[in-house]
Order: sequence, then structure tokens, then C-alpha cells
Amino acid sequence: MPPTENLGQSRTLLLPRIAKGDEEAMRKCIDAYGPLVWSIVCRRIDQRTEAEETCQDIFTEIWKFADRFDSKVSKESTFIGMIARRRSIDWQRKQSRLLTLSTLDGLPEKVTSSSFSMGSIDRADLWEALRKLPEDTLELFSLHFEKGMSHDEISKHTDIPVGTVKTKLRRGLIEARKLVREFSDLKGADK
Amino acid sequence: MSSKSVSRYEELDAGRALGDLSPEEVTEWEALAQEGAMDQTIDFDLLATELELNHTEDCALSSSLVTRLEDTIPAFSATIKANQSATGQIISILPWLGWAAAACLVVFFNLPTDDVTQDVSAELAQAKAELSNKEKTITDLESAKQELAKLNKKLKGELASESGKIDDLNTQIAKLTEKLPLLQKFESLIQDESETQRLEFASASDPYNGLSGEVIWNDEKQEGYMSLENLAVNDPTKNQYQLWIVDPERDELPVDGGVFDITQNDGKQIIPIRNALAINKPVAFVITLEQPGGVVKSKQEIVVALAKS
Repeated sequence: MPPTENLGQSRTLLLPRIAKGDEEAMRKCIDAYGPLVWSIVCRRIDQRTEAEETCQDIFTEIWKFADRFDSKVSKESTFIGMIARRRSIDWQRKQSRLLTLSTLDGLPEKVTSSSFSMGSIDRADLWEALRKLPEDTLELFSLHFEKGMSHDEISKHTDIPVGTVKTKLRRGLIEARKLVREFSDLKGADK
Repeated sequence: MSSKSVSRYEELDAGRALGDLSPEEVTEWEALAQEGAMDQTIDFDLLATELELNHTEDCALSSSLVTRLEDTIPAFSATIKANQSATGQIISILPWLGWAAAACLVVFFNLPTDDVTQDVSAELAQAKAELSNKEKTITDLESAKQELAKLNKKLKGELASESGKIDDLNTQIAKLTEKLPLLQKFESLIQDESETQRLEFASASDPYNGLSGEVIWNDEKQEGYMSLENLAVNDPTKNQYQLWIVDPERDELPVDGGVFDITQNDGKQIIPIRNALAINKPVAFVITLEQPGGVVKSKQEIVVALAKS
């Protein structure tokens, strides 16, 4: 991830400039976020040609949906990472002949959420909030998000049925959202 | 919408962000989203991304890929600017229309009453009517745009649903194609009526009550098949089904008829009999559940089904 953005939104935002057709901002975006996008793509796609084509699709989508970025809702790197992640998952689903759900076409014009605001939360604080999750959920999160294991792989590794892994990851994400909301509210109240 | 539906939608939405929705769940997610007019947010996507980014180390792009990406910039920049320009033109005409209409009204109400100015008055009235028509056209265009957006959304939904059905059909066709050779052998053996013995399976214990099927065996060809329905899927790492053939002419103990797995529970499964020894006149066939790989002599602790003459 771009080092200057690690805590808060300290870098000059590129997406609002891209939304206005600023070519220099587009170039800077490739330079700043290209490595992040490429690492997300390579976690899921091991064929180089396919990975490069997906990377191109992702930047196409970043240019297209730059105007939907809201710095109150997320950090720029998270928004770009999200597009990269969804596109890569989309590629995997296509390989498995499953329906794809990757583009933002189905989402509202301006993606905002009244109760969810990660844009102002530091990453360190976010992880502090998530530490309240149950141990087994954190373990599954670590296997899935950190080690990049699929549900099947986690099931074999932990000896938990694959259906249970799926349910626990989903419920863990719901619980995580609740914790982030509470943390966000608390932070708002402190101000 | 009930709280149960809301919580189900939430769970499916989390699954969508994790990328693990099955085709049926995608349809359910879409239906719930439409039924309850759910707010579609990207909360779970952002969270999942944050969780992943925390452990992602950047990898440099190759220079050739950077060049390819940069090559797309001028075209995209031009498209964005063109879109903005088109939107700007529509927006900029709206306040002008208001001012123009106001100016017309001011002039209209301050006109002198002589004959010469009556023509001007008529022209101004005509201009006002034209302006009014243009305002109406813009309103119509805006509502047509909204209608098109709605139609587009609806069509996308239908397309996704149809695509899901096609995928399901393709999966079914693939499964049937896989089964076809065995089914053909099964049917061919049945045709040989004079030599082929047919026995019906009956479940032997509670958990297997729904099971049905039959076994066919041909002594001369030493070939046979089981046709089974509603037999529970087994986990081959924990246990496997094993067929036993009771042939009193050969031995008092049942003969091993082979180990098999049920990997899917969707319709009739044809399983070939793999008898290790020659069978002469079988009087019964027994299916048991055994340890992975099967056993040499069954304790018959879990008897699944029985077919006897």
C-alpha cells in the first residue's frame, strides 16, 4: 500500500482528479497503486497473461468509477483495493462457472453509508476494534485474508466442515462491521 | 421485510463480498435486495479489502504493463471530459432558460400599446412559448433517461438470472454426460433378460430409509451394476460404502463386491460391481459402511441396504 497513506488520508487524493479526466493523476495512480493492485491480482490469478488483462480491467474500472469515491467512507487505497479484489474474485468465479458480481454497476451512483465510515479511522485503530472478535473468527480471518486460503483449504487445515467455514466467515464479517460501527460512533462522540 | 429476511440478506451480502455465493444464493440475494429495497452498500467489500490489505505486500508492475496501462489514459481522459461537457451543457441551459423566461415576461408586461410594438409583443409571446416547449422537452428527456436506467437495471437482473440458469443446465449436462457410459452398460445388461438377475434394494437401517434402487448381475458375463437413489453422500476420508455378494455355492462368507463413494445426491447413481472373485449364483447383495478402503471381512456394524432373491 502507498506508504504515505498508511495512517489517515495524508496523501493528496488522486481519484477526485481522475474523475475530472486529469491525465497526470491517472499516471500517478498507476505509479502509486499499481503495485497494490498487482499484488491483489497475483494472490488469485497465477497465469501472467490473465493477471495482466485483469489488471488492465481494474484500472479501466478505477477511471470509470473514480467519481464514486468518498473519502469519508473509505481510504483511497481501500477503494482501489476493493475494485481490484472484486475483479479478481470475479475472474475466479468465471473459472468456476459461477455468476459474477464484480462491477460497481449495480451499486448507487455515490457509494456512501450513513452508519459506516472507515475513511477517518486509522488502520491501527481498526485492528484494535477487530481484536474484540472471537478467537476462532480471528483464526479463520487470518487463514483467509492473510494466508489467502480458500474455504476448502481452510476446511482441510482446521478439520471444520466447509459449510461451517463459509458461515463463520460471513458472520465474522457481519460482527466486524458492527464493531467498526461502534468504534466509529465512539470516535464521533469523543470529538 | 421481516428481521429474518434482513439478517439473511446481510449474511448473503457478506458472502457476496467474500465471493462465495452459490448461483442459488446469488438469485436469493437479488430477490431479497429487490423485495425489501435494501440499501446496497459496500461495507463488507471495504472491510474485506481492509482485512486483506493488512497482509498484502506490494509487487512491482512490469514496465511493459505500465506502458500498456498508460496507453489507455488519453482515451479515458477524453471520454470523461466528453461526458462532463455533455452534462455541463444540459445543466448550463437550465438557469439560462429561467432568466430568459423572466426577461420575456418583464418585456411583455412593459410593452407600449401602439400597433408597431404589437408585432414585437407577438414575437416575444412566441419566443416564450418556444422556451416553454424546450423546458418541457428537457423534462421529457430527463424522465426518459430515468426510464432507460430502470429498464437497464431490470434487463441486467434478468440477464444474470438467465445466465445462472444456463450455468445450472450446463452443469447438469456435464453430470449426465459423465453418467452416460455406465447407464448404457446398465441398460445393455438388462436387455440380456435370460441371463441377468435383477434384485431390488431395501434399506436396512433408519438413516437410510429413503434409499431405493436395484442390483443387476449376469453370471455368464461376471458383470453387474447397482442403481441407487437417495443414498447419502459419504466423506471418503472418513468412510466408504462396500458391496458384499452372498454366494452360498462359493463360500459361507459374503464375497467383496468393491468399495464405492456417493459424491452427489442428485438422481440415480449407477455403480459397477467390482467382484474380486468369480460369482456363481448370488442370492443376496448387501451394502455396508466401512472404513476408507473397505475391509476384508465386514463386522456389518452399519448395514445400509440389502437385496435378496
